[in-house]
Amino acid sequence: MSKKIIPVKQPKHGLQVTQASDIQAGSTLKLQADAVVVGSGAGGAITAYELAKSGKKVIVLEAGPYVPSEKFTEMLAISMGTMYADAGGQSNTTGDISILQGACVGGSTVVNAALCFRTPDYYLHRWGKEHGLTNLKPETMRPYFEKVEQHLGIKAVGPNETSAGAELIGKGLKKMKLPLGRARRNVKECVQSGFCFAGCASDRKQSMLVTYLPWAVAYGATIYSDTRAVEVLAESGRATGIRAEVMDPATGKVKAQLQVDAPIVVLAAGPVQTPILLQRSGLANSSGQVGKNFACHPTLSVTAVFDKEVNDFHGATHSLYMDRNTLPEEGGYLLLNAVQDPVEASFQVEPGTGKPYVAYMSKYKNTIRLISLIHDKNNGEVVWENGVKKINYDVDDEDFESMKKGLATTCKVLFASGANKVYIPSSQHLEINRMEDVDAAVASLKNERARYRYTSFHPQGTCRMGADPKKSVVNPYGETHDIKSLYIADASLLPTSIGYNPSETVYALAHYISDHIVKA
Amino acid sequence: MYMFTKDPRAEAAMPAMAAIGRLSRRSFLQAAAAAGALTVMGRAAAAPPAMKFVGASEAAVLQRLMEVTLPLSGSDLLPLSQVAVLPTLDGALLATMPPHILAGLKGGIGYWNDGPRAQFNRPFVDLNDEEAVRFCDAWANGSEVPQRALSVGLKKLIALAYFANPPTWAPLGYDGPNTRKRNIPSLGNAALPRS
Repeated sequence: MSKKIIPVKQPKHGLQVTQASDIQAGSTLKLQADAVVVGSGAGGAITAYELAKSGKKVIVLEAGPYVPSEKFTEMLAISMGTMYADAGGQSNTTGDISILQGACVGGSTVVNAALCFRTPDYYLHRWGKEHGLTNLKPETMRPYFEKVEQHLGIKAVGPNETSAGAELIGKGLKKMKLPLGRARRNVKECVQSGFCFAGCASDRKQSMLVTYLPWAVAYGATIYSDTRAVEVLAESGRATGIRAEVMDPATGKVKAQLQVDAPIVVLAAGPVQTPILLQRSGLANSSGQVGKNFACHPTLSVTAVFDKEVNDFHGATHSLYMDRNTLPEEGGYLLLNAVQDPVEASFQVEPGTGKPYVAYMSKYKNTIRLISLIHDKNNGEVVWENGVKKINYDVDDEDFESMKKGLATTCKVLFASGANKVYIPSSQHLEINRMEDVDAAVASLKNERARYRYTSFHPQGTCRMGADPKKSVVNPYGETHDIKSLYIADASLLPTSIGYNPSETVYALAHYISDHIVKA
Repeated sequence: MYMFTKDPRAEAAMPAMAAIGRLSRRSFLQAAAAAGALTVMGRAAAAPPAMKFVGASEAAVLQRLMEVTLPLSGSDLLPLSQVAVLPTLDGALLATMPPHILAGLKGGIGYWNDGPRAQFNRPFVDLNDEEAVRFCDAWANGSEVPQRALSVGLKKLIALAYFANPPTWAPLGYDGPNTRKRNIPSLGNAALPRS
């Protein structure tokens, strides 16, 4: 699938990247390195930096293009086409969950909301008990969280870093006597453009594009964009490198061949592409678990309409959350506010065809949104079939009950915030007009495919980490059970869904795994 | 209630509906700019011409759907005559759709057009406004997955192709991109950590 051609020269504050335009058509490149890292997002960038800093010669291969912030349009509809997987069209096979991931140098860190949570101790304990990850104790992981928080400037939003909608929701939470969590983000001197998902045009977001990748380059790492890894190379049970193809972004066709020979291979292509690469390579799957255990934190964004103009257009994309009921035993959902541009708003709500729809969009400035995100079970699968990736995943009935609990709270908070009606994002008209009607309306919802308009930003779990080689793909230190010196360092590792934005978990795990690679 | 007859086009359309999860195509602005005049002509004509990626019959279904879903008369929103909806849809959304997905979409459009025959004895393009709205809402709340998926997917295509055009934002009160407008400087790359 072709994507936009973005002719890029290195901007003055940019990044040294070898792009397809730098490589002669039809050529075959053979490169040598101490380590090759596939993917330049959270896991790949941090691993590249740590390994390069330790003195290793590192090559990073990124399938997506290099898009410097000077090219960010602050228009989500455009950014989706240039910086997201499948031009923003990645979805489950049913088509009702939009699974959004970055596909550019810097990966999802360039287009996420910068929201950071430490992995809750609950999950670290659970992973120790259920998956033998007794090495990932809270006290072991704490220094890693502290390190990334320092490196990325992760801190709670200030009083000025909010949005008009968040202010209203904060009042609603207070009325409902629910705890208001202030978002912690890797953002420095936020100017509240509200365009985190389209890329931060002024480099306030401390994404990999402006942090770990330039730092890795400063230590000698080299980055190839437009370069898709197609096979992990291994001999006698040990990784030896990566075979890749340089893609012409204008045509989507292969422009050149590239092979990196390296005794250390790190896969950090994300929970969709990492298992596909292993499946295509026929490696590391003696457990049969490669691609299994997919989870994605499905979300539904409830839209509320107010009598007055709110103009919830700009501000921190997420500035508050409510996590009283996040753990599975307590409901399994998290609430997040979010600003939304009119393009996205235009298809989130179904107020009825024709005039009701026009009336709704005419009142766009009177609307705000509150998202319900669930801790889902890992019941999906990513597979590579006949040259096509498939994400076989549907929200199951038990998880849908968590979503219903989240939706009920979401709707009540919005009414408490002053809304006069709320819309649940569904294929049909689903409007609630009074707080008193929320419970009955939500209770009547049925779990059906292609009924609800889900969005996911958090794929995870497809190459899970564990002590038992029969039940997991990688060992407790990130190395695959089957292939020596083949490591994974992305959200594929997560043995279970964690119910919170997983960025900081990936940052910390990548640091942890990098330490072990350096010591190995 | 509608009688639902299994139609191979329904299942064939599902990958296309999944693909319509995509929010955007790269050429929204170029497509809109290049095709602005064409849109005015298209609206004036009784039937739209074939577009580059879909034939005349499919274009007619999409145009009818646009008219039914965006009855802008009497509202403050920008009139359809000033927005290149169908050319944007064709040039920006369908242009890079893989062939098998596009084929599925075409099948889905045909299935949608034939959907009302069971109740109205006419295809979608021949329904009056009230009938067309009833049909759209009925399939949105239908019992079959392809009906719901098509209802969401096709209407989403129309909405995207309209609201992705920046001139449609002013009537909404939305001011769009602002960083460069406010002359906010880039902070550039972060300094290399000392530890």
